[in-house]
Amino acid sequence: MKAVGARLPRYDGVGHVTGRTRFVDDVRIPGTLWAKALRSPHPHAGIKRLDTSKAEKLPGVHAVITHKDVPRNVYGHLEALGVPADEPLLAEDDVRYKGQPIAVVAAEDEATALEAVELIEVEFEEREPVFDIRKAYDADAKPFHQWGPAFPHFGPYTSRRIRKGDVDDAFERADVIVQGVYRPQAIEQLPIEPQVGLSVPEPDGRVTIYSCTQAMYFSMGVVAAHLEWPLNKLKFVGGTVGGGFGGKVDTATETITALLALKANRPVKWRWTREEEFLCSSTRAPWHMELADAVTSDGWLLARKMITLHDAGAYTRFSSYGVTKHSFHHTGAYTIPNLRFDGYVVYTNRSPTSAMRGFGVTSVSYAVEIHMNRIAETLGIDPLELRLKNANRIGDLTANRVRLSDPSTVPVVLAAADRIGYELGAEFKQMTSEPRSGDLLPDHLLTSVARDGGAETDGRPA
Amino acid sequence: MQLTVNGIERELSTPPLDTLLNALREELGITSPKAGCQQGGCGACTVLVDGEPRRSCLTPLVAVEGAAVTTVEALGEPGNLSPVQAAFYEQYGIQCGFCTPGFVLATTAMLERTPNPSREQILEELAGHVCRCTGYVKIVAAVEAAANGDVSQAALEAGATGPSRHEPEVLVSGSPA
Repeated sequence: MKAVGARLPRYDGVGHVTGRTRFVDDVRIPGTLWAKALRSPHPHAGIKRLDTSKAEKLPGVHAVITHKDVPRNVYGHLEALGVPADEPLLAEDDVRYKGQPIAVVAAEDEATALEAVELIEVEFEEREPVFDIRKAYDADAKPFHQWGPAFPHFGPYTSRRIRKGDVDDAFERADVIVQGVYRPQAIEQLPIEPQVGLSVPEPDGRVTIYSCTQAMYFSMGVVAAHLEWPLNKLKFVGGTVGGGFGGKVDTATETITALLALKANRPVKWRWTREEEFLCSSTRAPWHMELADAVTSDGWLLARKMITLHDAGAYTRFSSYGVTKHSFHHTGAYTIPNLRFDGYVVYTNRSPTSAMRGFGVTSVSYAVEIHMNRIAETLGIDPLELRLKNANRIGDLTANRVRLSDPSTVPVVLAAADRIGYELGAEFKQMTSEPRSGDLLPDHLLTSVARDGGAETDGRPA
Repeated sequence: MQLTVNGIERELSTPPLDTLLNALREELGITSPKAGCQQGGCGACTVLVDGEPRRSCLTPLVAVEGAAVTTVEALGEPGNLSPVQAAFYEQYGIQCGFCTPGFVLATTAMLERTPNPSREQILEELAGHVCRCTGYVKIVAAVEAAANGDVSQAALEAGATGPSRHEPEVLVSGSPA
C-alpha cells in the first residue's frame, strides 16, 4: 500500500516530455509501404461493379485488397462471446455507411497510394439512407440488414429486457406518472493520435503488428479470426496509445495492414487522416430514451417503464454489450422495486457506434438525473431530498438483481450538498447507507424486500 | 534544402514544397512532432523555427530554408531535463503524451518572451494546442511551475539510467567512456 496517498511520478513521463516515447507512427521499419483506402462516398448503396486492375498496374503499387482477399470477411467484435457477426472487413455487395472501406492499396509512398485509390473503378447504386432511429420502425422503412431494423440476439429475445416486480400494479397505485424523452447525440472520441497500424511480415512466416489498440488480446483475436490463423503466428506490439477513450477498442487498422503486408511481402503502415477519423471511425452512439415513472405525491418511486433505442450505426460491433450495461444502470443510483425495461439496438446508415467512456451508462445517467429533477419539479419537493429518499441502501437489489453491499449514493449526495452549502432537512442530514427501516421502509419497498428474499439469502432472489 | 535542426546543419532531399513535418519525421527520423491532424488544428506537430512555435504540418520546407529548427529532443534528455520538461513531468501535465512535445515547445518559447506570464497569457498562448486527456488543469499548473522556477532537482534529473552521461563512471581504466 505504499502507493496509496503517495505522489508517484508517471512511469512514462520522461519519455513523453523528451519525445522518446515511441508511438506506432514513430516506429521505423525500412521498406515500409503506405496504405490508403477507397471508402464509400455514399451512406447507403449497392456495389454493382468493382475493378482494381488499373490501380494494381500503377508503378509503385505493391498490393490491392478487396473482400475477396479476406479469408473470413464477416467477423463480429463479440463473436467470441457467441454474439452473431454482421460486419464485413471490406464491403462486398453493398455499403451501409459513408466512409465504409471497400478496397485498400499499399504503395511506395502516400502520394502513390492516393493515386492508386483514384484509379479503382466502382459503380454504385444509391439507396435511401436512414439516419434517425425513430424512423427505422416506420411502416414504409426498408431495413437493410438481414435481421430487420434491429439487432435481434439477446438470448431468447430480440431486445435487452428487464422485468422486475409488478409494474402495472404500481402504475395503478401511483399518485402521479412522470414522463420524459431524452436524446443525447453522437460524440467522436477524438484522440489526438489517429488510428494507425503497422504490420511487418517476418521471415519465419509470422506477422508482427504494431498496434495502437486499447484491447491487445481482443485485437489479436479479431485479426486471427479474419486471417483464419492461429494466434501464435501473430506478434502484437502495443501498450503505447496516443489517446483512445473507447475509440481504439475497435480493431481498425491491424487486420487490413496484415493482409496487405502478406500480399506485398513488405511492411505496411496505415495512418488515418483526421478527416477519416471524423467521417468513419466509430463514435459514441446517439440514444433515444423514453421514461415513465409511477411516483407517490410524497416522492417515492414505485415503478419505472423505460424504452431505449440505441443507434448502432451500420453494424452492431459492441452495441448489444453497451445496451446491456445501460439496462443494468437504468434506475441510476436509486432503488425502484418495479421495472419494465426494453432496449433495442437499431441500425441506421451512420458510421458504426462503439465504446466511449462509460459505454452505455453515461446516456442513461444523463436521462435518469434529468428525470429525477423533473419528478421533483412536478411534485414540488426538494431534488436532493428526492434522491436521498430513493437512494440505494445496503441490501437493496439493482435492476439486474445484484444485492448492494456498499452503495455510495447517500454519502455522495450528502457530501455534495455540504460542499455547495445546500441546506437539507434534519432527517436527511442524518441519513446513512444502512438498510432501510421505519418511514424509509414504506410498504412498496417492504413487499419488495420480502419478495426478493431479504439480505439473509445472500443476494439470491427467492 | 539546407537548414539547422537541433544544432546540426542538414542538407535535405525532401522536396521543397513538402512539409517540414514530413522532412523531420520521414527523412531525419525525428518523431516528436506528431501528425495529429495535418491541417493546423491540433498543435501536435509544433516545432520551434528560430525560437518561435510553428505548425510543421502546414510549413513548406522551402519557407524555412536556412532557419534553425528545434524539437523537444534538443531541449533535454532523460536524466537532464529542461525546466519546462521537468515541470510537465513533475506536475502531471502529461497523460497519453501525444500532444506533449507541442505543449512543451510552445511553453518554452512563451517563457523566453514572457518569463512571468499571467494565467490569461498562458491560456492565450496555449489556445492552439489540443489535449484530449488532461482537461488542461495540470498543463496550466506545469506552465506556472516552470515560470516560477518551482521545479525539483529530482525532476530535472528524472530518467537518468546507469552512470551519468555527464560524469561517466570509469569501469575500465583508459576506456573512452
